[in-house]
Amino acid sequence: MSSKETLEISESSYLTEAYMKRLQSLTVAFESRDEAQISEIVGELTTLRESSLYQELGMLTREIHDAMSTFGNDERIAQLATEDIPDAKERLNFIVTKTDEAAHRTMTVAEETMEVMDSFSGKADAIRERWAQFRNRELSKDDFIQLSNEITQFFDSVEPESATVNSKMTEIMLAQDYQDITGQMIKQVVVMVKEVEEKLVRLVAISGLGDVSLTKKEVISKSSDGEKAEGPQLPTADKEVVASSQGDVDDLLASLGF
Amino acid sequence: MDKDLKILIVDDFSTMRRIIKNLLRDLGYNNTSEADDGDTALPMLKTGKFEFLVTDWNMPGMDGLTLLKSVRANPDLCNLPVLMVTAEAKREQIVIAAGAGVNGYVVKPFTAITLKEKIEKIFERLEK
Repeated sequence: MSSKETLEISESSYLTEAYMKRLQSLTVAFESRDEAQISEIVGELTTLRESSLYQELGMLTREIHDAMSTFGNDERIAQLATEDIPDAKERLNFIVTKTDEAAHRTMTVAEETMEVMDSFSGKADAIRERWAQFRNRELSKDDFIQLSNEITQFFDSVEPESATVNSKMTEIMLAQDYQDITGQMIKQVVVMVKEVEEKLVRLVAISGLGDVSLTKKEVISKSSDGEKAEGPQLPTADKEVVASSQGDVDDLLASLGF
Repeated sequence: MDKDLKILIVDDFSTMRRIIKNLLRDLGYNNTSEADDGDTALPMLKTGKFEFLVTDWNMPGMDGLTLLKSVRANPDLCNLPVLMVTAEAKREQIVIAAGAGVNGYVVKPFTAITLKEKIEKIFERLEK
């Protein structure tokens, strides 16, 4: 940066000198009304102006070229594009599959557990009803013997059915192991995205296309289209824009007459 | 409330359809069918004599908002009660859905109680 500044200063002082010289000659030419001389000096001034512009343009072009070629020579970028990004896509797809599997596995086992519990409480209900009849002396001797057998069977079923429910609960817990694998994979993808972000910021800086410090809000407001589904919002989203809870949604709908 | 109510659940994720189906069954509604987006749902609605529609918004193919608009634009379906169950939580979007004629709006993730409340509220208003 400092060498560039020195270059600029020496160049500009050289230019000032050249301009001064021409202006002095121009004054002399005006005084002597030498029209040929005047037009020659004006021509020289124009050339001087143009050549300094070209010089600056040349310098800028060289700078951009240098920056772009350093950027292009960065092997990491090629690797990101050809390996890391396809790899990340694969990982994210794997995460979708894995979470889908885990959710279904959990739901299947939960449904099975509910069935076990339903039949269990059904049997208990039936016994309680008959037991009440017995306590009210409404049961015959034969019916009582049958009830007694049913109670024995019920007690015998408590242990194995509890064991079934227990093992199903364990299965539900095990189905949550996806979190470990997918969590690690998501972290790997986040690292990759961060690297791409840095490279992109550099590219934007080099190309001078835009202000890198463009705020998030400006970007969002540019891409917003109310009719388009955007998927879930982050919990950190702007509360003015996003309803953060069902209560917020209800309030908003109530304000619309719902 | 009629527990035999014929309900169509529309969501592109089979897990979410399953969750909603289970919650509805818990509430006593067993007569449910499923579709994975608006394109599949609309022909089902036209022929299936459904009495209640629960739909997601963000889906490939026809999304939930377009499905809602198509339902409201169809003379045979225009009075079908529609509950939107979606992750779309922008205020602007909720206002748009309300304008398109949605009967209830539940944001994901939601609880069984919220779903129950919204469904009950919809039918309470319809019975009035």
